[in-house]
Amino acid sequence: MDPTLETDTTDRRRFETGRMTLLIDRVMTWLIRCGGVLVVTVVFGIFLFILFQVFPLFQAARVHELKTVQLPQKKFTILGVDEWGAKPFLVEPDGNLLFVDYASGQVSEIPVDFGGGPAHEITAAGINKREQKLIVGTADGKYALVSPGYKSSTGEGKNEVTASPTATKFSDIGIPGARILDIAYGDSGSQKLVVALQDADGKKSVSAQLLKRKRSLLGAGSAEVATAFDLTPFFSGQPRDILVPATGDAVIATTDEGEVIYLSLQADGGFQKVQTFQPFGDLADSRVALVDFLFGDVSLILAAETGENRVFSLFYPKGASVRTFGLTQEFPVLPGRPSYLVSTQRNKAFLIGAAREASLRFRTTTSVRWQELLPFTATKAVISGKYRRILFLDEQNRLHFYELNDPHPDSGWKALFGKIWYEGAPEKKWEWQSTGGSDDFEPKYSLVPLIFGTLKGTLYAMLFAVPIALLAALYTSQFLDPNLRGVIKPTMEIMASLPSVVLGFLAAIYIAPLVEHRIPSLMLLAAGLPAAAALFGWFWSTLPIHLRKRIRPGTEWMVFLPILALLGSLLWSLGPAFESLAFVTTDPATGKKVADFRYWWPAVTGTPFDQRNSLVVGFMMGFAVIPIIFTIAEDALSNVPSALRTASMACGASRWQTAMRVVLPTASAGIFSALMIGLGRAVGETMIVVMATGNTPIMEWNIFSGMRTLSANIAVELPEAPHHGTLYRTLFFGALLLFLLTFFVNTVAEVLRQHLREKYKTV
Amino acid sequence: MSAAKAPSLTKTHAAPGEPLVWLTAMGLALGLLMVAGLLGVIVANGVPVFWPAPLVEVTLKPGVQNPVPGGGETFVGRLVQQRVKRTPVLDAAGRPQADQSELQYFIGNKDGYGSNFVFINRADIAKTRTPKDILVIERMEYGPAFGFPQRLATSDGKTLSASDPAFPGALRALVAEGNARRRALETIEKRDIGRINAEMNELKIRGRDSSAPTKAMTALEARYETLASEARALRLLQTAATLTYQLPNGAVKELPIGNILGYYQPNQIGIFRKLGLFLHNIWNFLSQDPREANTEGGVFPAIFGTFVMTMLMSLAVVPFGVIAAIYLREYARQGFFVRAVRIAINNLAGVPSIVFGVFGLGFFVYFLGGSIDKTFFGDYLPTPTFGTGGILWAALTLALMTVPVVIVATEEAIAAVPRGMKEGSLACGASKWQTIQRIILPASLPGILTGLVLAMARGAGEVAPLMLVGVVKLAPSLPIDGEFPFLHPERKFMHLGFHIYDLGFQSPDSEAAKPMVFATTLLLILLVVALNLFAIVIRERLRKKYATGAF
Repeated sequence: MDPTLETDTTDRRRFETGRMTLLIDRVMTWLIRCGGVLVVTVVFGIFLFILFQVFPLFQAARVHELKTVQLPQKKFTILGVDEWGAKPFLVEPDGNLLFVDYASGQVSEIPVDFGGGPAHEITAAGINKREQKLIVGTADGKYALVSPGYKSSTGEGKNEVTASPTATKFSDIGIPGARILDIAYGDSGSQKLVVALQDADGKKSVSAQLLKRKRSLLGAGSAEVATAFDLTPFFSGQPRDILVPATGDAVIATTDEGEVIYLSLQADGGFQKVQTFQPFGDLADSRVALVDFLFGDVSLILAAETGENRVFSLFYPKGASVRTFGLTQEFPVLPGRPSYLVSTQRNKAFLIGAAREASLRFRTTTSVRWQELLPFTATKAVISGKYRRILFLDEQNRLHFYELNDPHPDSGWKALFGKIWYEGAPEKKWEWQSTGGSDDFEPKYSLVPLIFGTLKGTLYAMLFAVPIALLAALYTSQFLDPNLRGVIKPTMEIMASLPSVVLGFLAAIYIAPLVEHRIPSLMLLAAGLPAAAALFGWFWSTLPIHLRKRIRPGTEWMVFLPILALLGSLLWSLGPAFESLAFVTTDPATGKKVADFRYWWPAVTGTPFDQRNSLVVGFMMGFAVIPIIFTIAEDALSNVPSALRTASMACGASRWQTAMRVVLPTASAGIFSALMIGLGRAVGETMIVVMATGNTPIMEWNIFSGMRTLSANIAVELPEAPHHGTLYRTLFFGALLLFLLTFFVNTVAEVLRQHLREKYKTV
Repeated sequence: MSAAKAPSLTKTHAAPGEPLVWLTAMGLALGLLMVAGLLGVIVANGVPVFWPAPLVEVTLKPGVQNPVPGGGETFVGRLVQQRVKRTPVLDAAGRPQADQSELQYFIGNKDGYGSNFVFINRADIAKTRTPKDILVIERMEYGPAFGFPQRLATSDGKTLSASDPAFPGALRALVAEGNARRRALETIEKRDIGRINAEMNELKIRGRDSSAPTKAMTALEARYETLASEARALRLLQTAATLTYQLPNGAVKELPIGNILGYYQPNQIGIFRKLGLFLHNIWNFLSQDPREANTEGGVFPAIFGTFVMTMLMSLAVVPFGVIAAIYLREYARQGFFVRAVRIAINNLAGVPSIVFGVFGLGFFVYFLGGSIDKTFFGDYLPTPTFGTGGILWAALTLALMTVPVVIVATEEAIAAVPRGMKEGSLACGASKWQTIQRIILPASLPGILTGLVLAMARGAGEVAPLMLVGVVKLAPSLPIDGEFPFLHPERKFMHLGFHIYDLGFQSPDSEAAKPMVFATTLLLILLVVALNLFAIVIRERLRKKYATGAF
């Protein structure tokens, strides 16, 4: 063999890269690629995840048919349902209940024991949804209360609902023996009000019976004392429908002429007419076809014969002392005469239908959650207590079970951003109030006050921070002794690192009580310090040069430290004197003259003065914002190519002229981006705002009142928000807004900065 | 200055705009004053908390209402602050009335007086003196007691009067004994009984279906009984000896020795003893558990929680941050897309921290934690294990929040590595990974470290997101302890920042909590500022190293 060839092969092997090295390289390349892509995806996954959580807020209700059950051909007076929609019942003319089991599809008639006696023909029935009880009226002027007696048992993952109806004995009401056309009752616990509409030989009469439970020491009040009222004189027209709120202290009735009459039970025991109004008085046919209470019994849903649909709510009109009904919402018109109208016991939704059209509507947002042309004509409908099922009874007596999937009926663009007429309010407004004391509370999810609060906090923070930060940046980059820059910049950066919880705590515990009494001092400081600085500068520059030489250019700020401290404390202590000169008001309680800004401000402007206010927040947020603006603006200013500066100086411009006319315009984009990034920080600041404001979602620009920002709102409410509830998702939406806002602002700033960098390259 | 005249150098005219330069100088001076003022306030309020200040006896002028019940004309307290009280009502002539100076005293003895603080007008004070033999007693409950010792009743029925020369020695010995016993009690109650409780719980959950492990249960119960009786015996001993002392208002109180943590005579001890007490107080603050709804005792669990959380966060943030930076710098094709990603990552650092908290709650706690619970901890449901806030989720949330900081810092450091070094390595035949591993990473290590330290500083000081993902005002146990598996990532934890928020805002007695909040604030500020200074120093070094051009 040729020896040279042999050495050649060994050499080649020697210079080959080791297999292990190649393998590791490949593995690491793969690992880093994967890891890098993973991190980048995760980072953007945040946005997608939050978006995904928010999405259901804007979904309409989804409704689809589950099952149909054929019922016997009888005339049923009313359709009722349990909470789960698993075992609805219908009232038969003989007073017995017909139960339909959803799971098995079985129809079973359960006789109701009215305590013996002869059978009566049931001609009218009403449901008290809160009590889950039924009232039935007979052809011979009697009534009884029936309870379906639902019980649920959970076992093996299935929810079993059983019913064992009970009833009270029949009692007489109104004109003896007169046929009952409509009946309703309300029960507040201590008193029960039953109201019946009767047909006494062609003449309609309305009578009420008030049952007061006497609390005896021996037993849970079995004795009931009845008082009877004849309400017929209150009606000028023919009464038609009767409603009694759950509180049992009022009667609402409609007439054939299209009037609604609102009677109230007075404390002295008599009835009084509070209001008569024509809900559809503006239409050609002003008759009221259907009426029902909305959950909470504060709003009336009314439907006209021609399909118009309006909601009237009880509120105190401006200046009035009595609550009356007023038009608050108007819904889209239905095609033709509505045949059924039911509300739920879960929220402010109601179901209305005309011919084959069925429509699920929501009061708060005036929105139609679902509307569809059904394949049958429904005569009766009901929504289950849990708002999960809708049941329709059609003309052929078939009962249709529908599934209802509408987890967030009270949300949507209109709820989040629109002006809304809430129940009990005298006008439309934006409001945030997510939780209330009672079940029938109407949550108010308007983000507008929160966005307003965010902007307010940001504005006051920027008003304070921008001048100081920009002046300091200009001085540090243009005039400061270069040897000192290495110390000054890190000092300001330390300020950026102060935890916001510390700032918030100091703002609330230290600054707020301190400043509360010293607003006039602060005014003096705000006006006095800059004026004194400029004046001192002017005075100094008029001095002869041999004196001026003593302060080296670039060290002016050191001279200022003691001057500022002295002047500051002087102005601070002058505050009370200034206050007693300028801010004197008369205390209305004692009639004495008081020199206190805290009283003067509300007396003069009519806006409140709070201890934890926007001024304190603005000041403390300054600590968070100043260093950010300072650092970025300083970078932008000192990165201006020195050739520009030196050229300007060489042309004879002073250092101020150079700074203002050459450096500042060149770096303007960078300064703008500094402001934007500072803004982004102020918008998202949480702890300072949580701690140093009262967190009330008000909408006023008053500097001496607080606010509630989007971020503080999340921090305050999210820990208590039920998982996947409307509040939870709405708070996520707030977070999404914050994310988008800061991301957008920062991106604009960053693009500007990069643009600026490109520009410097060409200079 | 008119254009016609030649400007003269000797004249008084300065260059145009000089006054405005002074205005900008004011901006800087104000900014610096703000920083100094803020740090000054914290230090001035935080440091005196530990100093054993003297107690004064205040004698009020006759006819002045004594805020301390039954004290006659005097009370004893420690001066907390003095402030100016203004009367805003103008007098008949419309002139403001003179200001009054008001003093706030901490009077202690909350069990005897009902409140801790009194305010008194300076004008109402006749005279003050410092009573020599008054004693400050640090107790387990009700905060400190101020009083004059009377006698000591030992467990064997003997009594020792305070005037007896053996009294100080006996008291010292008894208190030391009591403290040792308390530690022993703590070990039994927290560690041993806690362990048994955990085992019992485990057994109960396992035994839901079968009744087999009852034998093990009885054994555990027996062990529990022994330990409990041991603890009872110790507890009895703790109350056997008592110290009787008289409050400054004359009331006589009796205190079990076991409740005394320490005592000193603030008006008798010298400066060195005071310094010793000062350091001792600082040590106690750093090393002890909080007492009395966090308003007394130390902040050790909060320090420990902050530390563990920051460490877990660093563990998560460094590998991912560095890998992402290497990918963006060395592997991804530079173009519009990578530039956009870079801008986006940079901007993510500016997204409000609360947004990360929201994400952490939704994703980590409810989604990930909920899934883990369903898969592995189904037995414990509906009590969540991972499906609720915990230290792991908090650390991961903060890691997500700070990963942009690390990515940006690492990228900058990698970009600063001179091209020559990299190309040299490749030219020598090193593979790409070898170049990264041996050349680029070591050279950019200071930069990575800077990023990490900045991330840690941000993580240690952040509160808003933590409130959503697992921080609590009082955690029953530490996230790391002697119980298997030693690190408990699902546990809730305490945090210095949240401690400040909680003490300052949710405390039942916010005035009494103030010293504690300021001390905690001082600690947190020191920690964060130290971390930041460290990062700045490294960064400056790095800059110098590459500015001089080592290659």
